[in-house]
Amino acid sequence: MKRLTFTLTLLAVMALTAPAFAHFQMIYTPEAALVKGGKIPLALVFTHLFEAGHTMDMGKPEQFFVIRSRGENAPKKIDLLNKLNPITWTSLTNSGAAWETTYSARGGDHTFCLIPDPYWEEGDGFYIKQNTKVIINVGGEPGAWMEPVGIPTEIVPLCKPYDRWTGNVFQGKVLFNGKPVPGAEIEIEYMNHKPLLDKKAFAKKAAAEAPQDAFVLQTIFADDNGVFTFGIPKDGWWGFAALDLDPDYTHKGKKCSRDAVIWIKAVDMK
Amino acid sequence: MLKQLIVSIFFLGLITVGTAYAHTPLCSCYDNGDGTVTCEGGFSDGSSASGVEMRVQAKDRKVLIQGKMDEDSEYTFDKPASGYTVVFDAGEGHRIEVNGKEITE
Repeated sequence: MKRLTFTLTLLAVMALTAPAFAHFQMIYTPEAALVKGGKIPLALVFTHLFEAGHTMDMGKPEQFFVIRSRGENAPKKIDLLNKLNPITWTSLTNSGAAWETTYSARGGDHTFCLIPDPYWEEGDGFYIKQNTKVIINVGGEPGAWMEPVGIPTEIVPLCKPYDRWTGNVFQGKVLFNGKPVPGAEIEIEYMNHKPLLDKKAFAKKAAAEAPQDAFVLQTIFADDNGVFTFGIPKDGWWGFAALDLDPDYTHKGKKCSRDAVIWIKAVDMK
Repeated sequence: MLKQLIVSIFFLGLITVGTAYAHTPLCSCYDNGDGTVTCEGGFSDGSSASGVEMRVQAKDRKVLIQGKMDEDSEYTFDKPASGYTVVFDAGEGHRIEVNGKEITE
């Protein structure tokens, strides 16, 4: 009996103190602003970002493509789904099914878009589907980075996501079916453990330490126009996830949180 | 009268030289792996480089191939057998030279 009470107490304490865990769909490549074109690596990993924690098994994505745009040229869509290779990604606590590929990037903007297979989150009792975007640039000539791609849930950047100095703000607009989502809830996390592409794992060393769990996962809300603003405190990759943009959406008869994720990379002024 | 004319000529000069490219020119070239090279030109504000003069020069600066950036601000040429330089020439102060040695896939 005593033991049961202890176990129950322990469970209750664990439940109460469990830190806010945010799922983040990564499209990772080391650099957002490349000086020269060439082959770049890409890794698709679904993880708990800040702590490089539990990494979820990804199914075969529904879509993975890039939109290349340079100067005044018309944007071109290139399908990359069949270029993906399955890998196993190792986090600090487990390993999960992920994907990788390489891509030949020439000048201009390259907007990578992922529509993943919904993930069943047993702990929450619903599916999660994070439509994800990352925009990189080669050579400094801009393209259509500010244009919506047209995926169902999307964060459109209002500032170049690859030209942010540390300390700049980042502004984005949350869209569902092309329309702004007033008051959208946005979770923000820092890529605190460097992804090591050769090892297909996160580095054990953390770049920053959170003084308290609230700092692991920051939460902000979009304004009445679906626009949010975030001051960037540190160099590196930051993920923004606008949650549950289509509350009635279901998958296989269960609730599915239809999220929109975007990544930015800030650089220190030196 | 003469003074006025000189001032007018001065301003006319400003208009003709100052307009087109008040931004950084950009040009990157890539080896297509099939014996050709493609150069992509543009400007840092995203404006087009269509029509900009392109030259492929030998080491002694002799012009081997000459042409213009196409409507997509691209220029493709047959890779010369020996050392060369590509010149993107959008006018004085807006000229970029790319050494053939640095052009890779």
